[in-house]
Amino acid sequence: MKVRYLVAALLAAMLAVAASTASGGTSQSHATKIVVWLQNDAQNGWPEAVALANRNFKTQHPDVEVDVQYQSWGTHLTKFDASLAGGDAPDVIELGNTEMTKYMAAGAFKTLSQSAFPNNKTWLQGLKGSCQYNGKLFGVPYYAGARAVIYRKDQYKAAGIKGTPTSLAAFMADGKKLMKKYGKNAGYSAVYFPGKYWYAAMSFVYDYGGQIALRKGGKWKGTLNSPQALTALTQVQTVFKSLTRASRTTDEANPQQSLVFAKGSVGSFIGNGWEWPYALDPKVGNPSLEPVVDAYPMPSHIKGKFMPTFLGGSDLAVPVTTKNQSLAADWIKAFTGTAAESEIAKAGNIANTTKLLAFNASNPKLAPFARAAKYSWFVPTSPNWANVENANVLQNMLVSIATGRASVKAAATSASNQITRILNTGA
Amino acid sequence: MASVVESEFLLASRRRRRFTRQRLGHAAAPYALLAPAAAVIGVILAYPLYLLVRMSFQKYGLFELIRHKGRSVGTANYAHIFQDAEFWRVVLRTVAFTAVCVSLTMVLGTAIALLLLQLGRVMRVALTTGLVLVWSVPVIVAVDVWRWMVDYEFGVANWTLTKLHIGNFVRHDWFANPWTGFGVFAALIVWGAIPFVAITLYAGLAQVPHELLEAAAIDGARPWAVFREVTVPLLKPIFIILTSLSIIWDFQVFQQIWVMLDARPGSDYYTMAIYAFHQSFQISEYGLGAAIAVVMVLFMFAATLVYLRQMLRAGEVQ
Repeated sequence: MKVRYLVAALLAAMLAVAASTASGGTSQSHATKIVVWLQNDAQNGWPEAVALANRNFKTQHPDVEVDVQYQSWGTHLTKFDASLAGGDAPDVIELGNTEMTKYMAAGAFKTLSQSAFPNNKTWLQGLKGSCQYNGKLFGVPYYAGARAVIYRKDQYKAAGIKGTPTSLAAFMADGKKLMKKYGKNAGYSAVYFPGKYWYAAMSFVYDYGGQIALRKGGKWKGTLNSPQALTALTQVQTVFKSLTRASRTTDEANPQQSLVFAKGSVGSFIGNGWEWPYALDPKVGNPSLEPVVDAYPMPSHIKGKFMPTFLGGSDLAVPVTTKNQSLAADWIKAFTGTAAESEIAKAGNIANTTKLLAFNASNPKLAPFARAAKYSWFVPTSPNWANVENANVLQNMLVSIATGRASVKAAATSASNQITRILNTGA
Repeated sequence: MASVVESEFLLASRRRRRFTRQRLGHAAAPYALLAPAAAVIGVILAYPLYLLVRMSFQKYGLFELIRHKGRSVGTANYAHIFQDAEFWRVVLRTVAFTAVCVSLTMVLGTAIALLLLQLGRVMRVALTTGLVLVWSVPVIVAVDVWRWMVDYEFGVANWTLTKLHIGNFVRHDWFANPWTGFGVFAALIVWGAIPFVAITLYAGLAQVPHELLEAAAIDGARPWAVFREVTVPLLKPIFIILTSLSIIWDFQVFQQIWVMLDARPGSDYYTMAIYAFHQSFQISEYGLGAAIAVVMVLFMFAATLVYLRQMLRAGEVQ
């Protein structure tokens, strides 16, 4: 009999199983408050810029509170989708420039009037392009980033490397020298290059004249299995095999590569401008490395040229669900004005306006990145591109190559086919 | 004459009515008591389920999400997933993974329950405490602990295996190969599931009458035969319900894989729950994701139905 009671109790537990998760909503916005979603890069890298924008906004609207909520790249779109469905989307949102098209095409944002925003005549062309869809403006350029090689001067010197490499071949040879000198330490990487670091890997592809995908006659075609791309990916494979001991299944943000670098067992890594100061940050990094860290643009396979860098960046947009459009626009104005943008540039980024480019060139800690930014590549501009990113197509391909689970050709062909399929969905 | 008949009829019908009302009251009481629970289940379970099923028959992408309105497409979503080779790979992977996890959980859980029965007081309390502690660790915390243990660079698993000269595990990446990766997940999930199974079975074992076991032993049955012929049949309903629950839990595994792999699991690590989430929230094909979720619910229902029917039948016999 008692067994039966136990069974009854278990049955009750079973009913409860299905009802396990519930999501909490955020507060709804009145005219007394606006909600801003920024990525946590701002929180870590340039909190002063945010504070400045909030102060400026406050003087203009003393009775409106600004609630800045920091998001992480891995989950912010999921949260944004959920908030759109739930009707509590933020008033301002930061989106990566590769993520914009999908949302603009779906009508997620309010159209903005370009002339209302500061420095709108001198916006970086690359970023501005990512804010436009069908000739309308749906976002305001926020900042851009270019990657360069951040390296340890002392280790280069000790390994007998003179100067910085001016070709990819020299870069690889220098890496081998570093491995020879320090490689006995099983955790040492001449180049910290985790398996899913697709921004850096695709730079190789564009350097050799390849592309991720091409558009012909209104149809997209994945082109990672082109001869140029295959040559480039084989080079990346060599980096995986002989120059790095980074995990082959993680990406550059988990763990933060600049913090791995700060731990000391890394000769160099390909990083954004802000990652240099971040590695030296006394709170999370190692300030004692200050005198021995420097940067140079990643060299091309053609001697004397630079490898194209991914023109990463962020834009700010106003979700279509907001009831505070003009307040949202005012906050964006405060955050993208020359004063705040100078702070953002100081943190190691490229400001949204060409007016501030000289600012970067004159700062030795930003100059290598400004030089690298002259040659850049960008992802295919399709509304479906974000789905390629979210499906981890490039990451999966690189992990296959890095772990040797598939040949370069097989991995690239499979990725290309997936890209073709995703980009042409619904077209 | 007519009036007498009439009045008698009235009287009878009134009596009958009163009688019926009373009976109705008695019959309704359980339903009245169940009503609040039913209402809650209706709100938090039935309505979302209805929305899910409806969405699975709609084209529901980002465009539709923003406008809160899907477009009906009949069974197109189902047709799409059934033709999708990736979907069938995911189904197979999920079924195989569930089978392994549930078997391990049940076998090890039973073994520990039997052990608990044999142990002295002190050890039994110690073991029970350990089990309860494991059971009370929140999933996310457990995943983080395990993630550090199998960490590529600093993990204690790699360190221990290397020190024990089992091989060179310095900077061994457990997730580079999906087989070892799923090995880690299976270990994590079985570890987390054993306490519930072990403690419940122990509670059941404690109810098995001693006389029966003794009688069987006197009749010359060996321990294994006693267990198989006496204990298992008596505890069959518990075994069935625990297996059903484990199937449900393991079939919908999500957090463990999701958190361990930084919310970006490679396609080798897609289980049905992750695949549904991926289609919905990463690709913004909520209709497709809903269809996958509905299929998943049907699978689980089918898998547990067999057991539930058996259990109800077993209950009738008793």
